[in-house]
Amino acid sequence: MTLELDRQVRPAAPPLRRDRRRWAWGLGAAGVLAWSLAGAGLFSGDVFNPGGTAQFGRFAAAALDPAVDAAFLGVLARSALVTVAHAAAGTALALALGAAGAVLVSRTTWGRRRAGWLAARGVLAVPRGLHEAVWGLLLVNVLGLDPWVAVLAIGLPYGAVTAKVFADLVDEAPRGAYRALRAAGAGRTSAALYGLLPPAAGGLLSYAFYRLECAVRSAVVLGMVGAGGLGYELALSFASLRWEQVWSAVYALSLLCLAAEVAGRGVRRRLAAPPSSGRRDRVLAAAVAGTVVLLAWACWYLALSPASLVSDRTVTQLAHVLRAAWPPATDGGLLRAVAASAVDTVQVSVIAIAVALLGAVLLAGPAARPAGRSSPGRRGAGALLRGGLLLLRAVPAPVWALVLLFLLLPGVLPGALALGVHTLGVLGRLAAETTEELDSRPRAALAALGARPAAAWLYAVLPRAAGPVLAHALYRWEVAVRDTVLIGLLGAGGLGALLASELATFDWAAVTTVLVAVVVLTWAVDVVSDRARAALR
Amino acid sequence: MSPTAGTVRVLGADPAALSGRDRHRLLARVGTVHQSLELVGRLRVVHDVNAGRLASWSAARAAWSLVRPQGLPEVLAALARVGLADRVFERTERLSGGQRQRVAIARLLVQQPDLVLADEPASALDPVLADRALALLGEPARTRGGALVAALHDAGLVRRHCDRVVGLAGGRVVLDAPVTALSAADLAELYGAAT
Repeated sequence: MTLELDRQVRPAAPPLRRDRRRWAWGLGAAGVLAWSLAGAGLFSGDVFNPGGTAQFGRFAAAALDPAVDAAFLGVLARSALVTVAHAAAGTALALALGAAGAVLVSRTTWGRRRAGWLAARGVLAVPRGLHEAVWGLLLVNVLGLDPWVAVLAIGLPYGAVTAKVFADLVDEAPRGAYRALRAAGAGRTSAALYGLLPPAAGGLLSYAFYRLECAVRSAVVLGMVGAGGLGYELALSFASLRWEQVWSAVYALSLLCLAAEVAGRGVRRRLAAPPSSGRRDRVLAAAVAGTVVLLAWACWYLALSPASLVSDRTVTQLAHVLRAAWPPATDGGLLRAVAASAVDTVQVSVIAIAVALLGAVLLAGPAARPAGRSSPGRRGAGALLRGGLLLLRAVPAPVWALVLLFLLLPGVLPGALALGVHTLGVLGRLAAETTEELDSRPRAALAALGARPAAAWLYAVLPRAAGPVLAHALYRWEVAVRDTVLIGLLGAGGLGALLASELATFDWAAVTTVLVAVVVLTWAVDVVSDRARAALR
Repeated sequence: MSPTAGTVRVLGADPAALSGRDRHRLLARVGTVHQSLELVGRLRVVHDVNAGRLASWSAARAAWSLVRPQGLPEVLAALARVGLADRVFERTERLSGGQRQRVAIARLLVQQPDLVLADEPASALDPVLADRALALLGEPARTRGGALVAALHDAGLVRRHCDRVVGLAGGRVVLDAPVTALSAADLAELYGAAT
């Protein structure tokens, strides 16, 4: 036996090799965060708004005393219908565009012609890089106050995203059946119809419902920039300092967004786990039929007429805008302003993601459903926390920004925090679900050998949950940049504010420059986050 | 885990009656090698071994150790005894099944428990390593007056490393004898009863 021999041998430790790439990314992220916080004025100057606290007190007091008079509730109900109609018609347009676009950008269409495929994808990046609200502001200048503005503002960017996702879903479907059909002499189209669409159908339908759910939030936000509906009522009440009405509108739109989220998740859950009996799922069939009816109703309710899209006035206005918008303005003053605003935008998005990530890590444990038995208090706290996260993500970020502006001086921080709490709602749920799905045995084993709960969490949960949660946070960063532009449109600074001021003066050449900056920034953030995710793997 | 009837006494104390610090102390004195090992694959080997000492570490020290491994000499000594000292900074998920089993034993060695519970600790090891693993697991019993309770299927291992055999079939004790008194007929009867 070599037992005794082993005891005398004390080998030196091999060198601890750290993953250089990961350390570089980690240090880089810490540096960027510190730079962003410094930019937000956290280390210098005042961030709190002492004058706002009295106003905030009145505002907060109104939360318990919202306006419930019949006249205002009637206004809210009508505007809620408008918001739902915008969302439904916008989604219908997006799905139609997405289905057509998916054919254009799927690998199946392009086969080995990679250059063509890349070019098609690149074209889609432009509508995707601009927030719905930006589209709304641009379209209102072409179409005037027309219901098409909101529908197109939702439909165009959503259509681009939908095309990309639909194409990916079809490309990822198992290809055996498709190849067999092609080999048997079927044409491309019929082979795709019989061999590719059926396996991808569940995913496609699920994504369509997800888009409808997102469209409700987008329609509220579009209202806030003037497209009508609940968001518009909220902005009006806010501007006229009627806090009771503001709260009624906030409650109404929270309820609407919550209902959309709960219904959408329910449908998607059913799609993910179809009943084994093989019969048609009645609830799903009803949901699909109901949605189709909703779309038809939306077109009728909004009185959408294709004629207004091609009227003489629209055509002349579009031609005028396009002529004025090219070439983009390149004077030094504007470029400096664009650069400074881009820096602000990046800083806001970085702080927002950091806030959301910190919150998500802290809340993941308590918000997750415990694996074994647990006390009623623990279960109640968990349910309460999950409800809170649902509310955080259901309410659009600009609403949070309006609330925070009472407490904080205008600048980078209120926008960043508003975006941060909204993103926390998304990331917190994801982190809790990741924790729930982990194998609970290693943690139980550590608890069994006497480790404290914090230590057991550090050694058994954190190492396994960190990867997926960080990857998703990086993915949300791109979304945060787009949302930062939106908050900017409503006055929180950054590229959005610059865009709003150039639009207000009809300086179309400058608008083009800012739009190009927004698209390039979104694209750059996408590339960086993609690289960082690759380093995590 | 609570008993269906009666009480459980571990090292002279009822774990269900203890709480807080006393309970942690008692838990730290019992080391377990689970059949599925319960290691965290994403961690480096050094952290999975150090996890055996979490009962005596503060949360802050446990967190810092993930950045700068603490108590490296003890970890290296334990890993050297299972023949894995050169893999100390490897990720545990990159190790083979048998190597992971040895990491679990190293974790037990740094824990230094008085009572060792091992569920088939030699199942993924070749005969030489299996003998070595059982010798290491039995060490607390020999040097500190503790005990090793192991579930084994290999009669040869039982004869070489154990003092007492308890045979279970259908949840009942069908055999309880010193190893020296164990006969081939006893074993045949035990395995006959089990099938």
